[in-house]
Amino acid sequence: MTVLPSHLDFLESESIHIFREAAAQFRKPVLLYSIGKDSTVLLHLARKAFWPQKPPFPLLHIDTGWKPREMIAFRDRTVRELGLELIVHTNAKGLADNINPIDHAPSLYTNVMKTLALKQALDANAFDGAIGGARRDEEASRAKERVFSFRAPGHRWDPRQQRPEMWRLLNGRLGTGETARIFPLSNWTERDVWRYILREQLDVVPLYFAAERPTIERSGQIIVLDDGRMPLPPGEEPRMRRVRFRTLGCWPLTAAIPSSAADIESVVAETLAARSSEREGRLIDHDQAGAMERKKQEGYF
Amino acid sequence: MSGLAQTARPETGATQARRENPHLAIAGGAALASKSRPLHEPGGIVHILTCGSVDDGKSTLIGRLLWDASDLPEDQREMVRRAARAKGDPDRLDYSLLLDGLVAEREQGITIDVAWRYLDTGKRRLVLIDSPGHDQYTRNMASGASHADAAVMLIDARHGLKPQTRRHAAILQLMGVSRVVLAVNKMDLVDWSETRFREIERDFVAAAAGLGFVEALAIPVSARHGDNIAAPSKKMLWHAGPSLVDHLEGVPGRQSSSGGAFRMPVQTVLRDGQDFRGLAGTVASGTVHVGDEVADVTAGRSARVVRIATMDGDLGEAAKGKAVALVLDTDLDVARGAVLAAPDALPVMARSLEARLVWLAERPFEAGHGLMLRTATDLVPVAAIEITAHVDLDTLSLKPASKCSTNDIAAASITLGRAAAFDPFSEQAETGTFLLVDYLTGATLAAGIVVAAGTGADGAAAPQTCFWLTRDMLERGLCSDLGRCEADAREYRRRASEVVCLLAAAGVAAAFEDPKSTAVN
Repeated sequence: MTVLPSHLDFLESESIHIFREAAAQFRKPVLLYSIGKDSTVLLHLARKAFWPQKPPFPLLHIDTGWKPREMIAFRDRTVRELGLELIVHTNAKGLADNINPIDHAPSLYTNVMKTLALKQALDANAFDGAIGGARRDEEASRAKERVFSFRAPGHRWDPRQQRPEMWRLLNGRLGTGETARIFPLSNWTERDVWRYILREQLDVVPLYFAAERPTIERSGQIIVLDDGRMPLPPGEEPRMRRVRFRTLGCWPLTAAIPSSAADIESVVAETLAARSSEREGRLIDHDQAGAMERKKQEGYF
Repeated sequence: MSGLAQTARPETGATQARRENPHLAIAGGAALASKSRPLHEPGGIVHILTCGSVDDGKSTLIGRLLWDASDLPEDQREMVRRAARAKGDPDRLDYSLLLDGLVAEREQGITIDVAWRYLDTGKRRLVLIDSPGHDQYTRNMASGASHADAAVMLIDARHGLKPQTRRHAAILQLMGVSRVVLAVNKMDLVDWSETRFREIERDFVAAAAGLGFVEALAIPVSARHGDNIAAPSKKMLWHAGPSLVDHLEGVPGRQSSSGGAFRMPVQTVLRDGQDFRGLAGTVASGTVHVGDEVADVTAGRSARVVRIATMDGDLGEAAKGKAVALVLDTDLDVARGAVLAAPDALPVMARSLEARLVWLAERPFEAGHGLMLRTATDLVPVAAIEITAHVDLDTLSLKPASKCSTNDIAAASITLGRAAAFDPFSEQAETGTFLLVDYLTGATLAAGIVVAAGTGADGAAAPQTCFWLTRDMLERGLCSDLGRCEADAREYRRRASEVVCLLAAAGVAAAFEDPKSTAVN
């Protein structure tokens, strides 16, 4: 009896197919590695797509200087264990100007330390295809995103210049000055990502698991203090809370959730039962209406 | 603290949603009880195209599907409730708000407008592919239909079938979508009348009869009130058939249709630096087993599969949709662009195609424009292309034409700059489709379906209408620095393709001899 493949098998094969097309069609692709759960799945699929070779592209991490230390440690360990090439880029000018998420508005900080930094890194290395872990289910403005998403010179996203995608045919031939973003996880949902992490027994950043962490509360959101850079009003003491992260990003822009899910099985169970959207905990997305779309047009991933 | 946004939304428990939505409780309960599926995985995946116009209530229908049949997050539910409260009518929820899309879509309009949504019903993953039915619907619908296993066509019960409905059905038929559901919406506005529904159903069955659908079913629904969406209607007890969700949960997905002769377009060749040489690709049709003989129609040779390799270990067989790497017992010198196939049912090495094109770009077809034709993994220069007719969507007949622009479906004769592997779309969907790509900008101009693939006179020489670039001619100058290895053959083909595209732009149809051609000229 032939057992029908599960929907995860289907998604896995589809993603592998996209990876192989990206490697074959682009001159110099790069994998944008942001250390979180989506990047973990993305990297795992990249390894499967080219096994027994190593993925034929380097990893690129845009380091804002505000990633929790456990993320950086996880990044370095992963790259070392798998023997991969990692490029780390920080916007030196932004760093010199001390652009940070405490003194500056999230939109400014994100633009300088993430969007601009990404463009700098892509331009400096002449990468023509940047592979990322964005999913169509993440946010309303992503529902129409293509698998191969094109950027005009200057990394501008123009909705009118996006190519139709039909059947399994992916057209990555670039016009002059164009680059592409490639999204192998387009058709995955947050739940699929966790189900797959469980099925494949993938290692993820420990911040996804509940632990006692030093926290403060701001506007109903729980912020985990990663170091001493966040000034507290006199008299406020960090409180230990049992929390974990549903989505990872720069602290203090990414909020934690109260949880006691301390292992992968409990995290998956909690995610499958969750009643709120994943990006609730991402404070940059609440900045203004159409925030994500505006960021995307500027070149944010 | 200026760095932190001021939003605060409390977590809300699942119980409230379940109380308001009994279907969820059933779905959730079933998932929890199913110990045999420890990951709570839906059983397989099915891609559904939704077509119809906003006036027919399509946004409401999709929103209602998400609301009633899926595990929609509570914050999104609250957003809809909040909007209803703000309008002073908390009981009248506007489900279409769940489909809020791009800002730019509202302001400037995205081309080829297909939105993807994912919902787990507890039994299955439904992927809803939504293409607008109003403006420029042909290319949008064709684009969406190319990904779909089945389609839901929505109409307003008050208006019945419109000429547009028939045209929608014709596009589905052309794109190979063989299962359609007619959702007859707004039944509440015709007093839940069975007579009215039967009238529409009769019209639909008659219209669909000529189109060769495997399945054509009409379901009476009210998206606004939820009747026959996720649960059977209490207002239409006369309807003995399934609700929309029940039906969609049972539609066969593409994984379950792994019949057909084996095809695998080769994407890339994987090596481990030692003996391993794996031909990587996704099985496009049929099933391959270890021990099977597979042929490369490009080289006209075959070999036996000794391993189906994946990072998770070797497989004994791989069916349609599976991404693998095949190791063969003899080196076929196969590269990207080749199609591995069952030796007793080979694709055609075609130099000319009769095709149907859906013109997607804003810019109309121009005869003297350099084009390339992209198949699953090959990129072939187009020597010449001629539009011969338009498909009339009202009658499905061909009307002579020589021009082609946005939203046209045209019949075309295409001459290729070199031979490539094709199947007729009606026999093998994945190796019977292609894109026409602008040689200069890379833009996708049209999508095509192969009606017939021709080999040319003797299978190796160019069609008589083409200027024939022989290997001698190319090797003497343009490719004089290239040898016989795989990389050099690839570079030879790239340069020759460029020449063909340049000549095509100058109005000269040209074709070139392959560097590995064994034919005697």
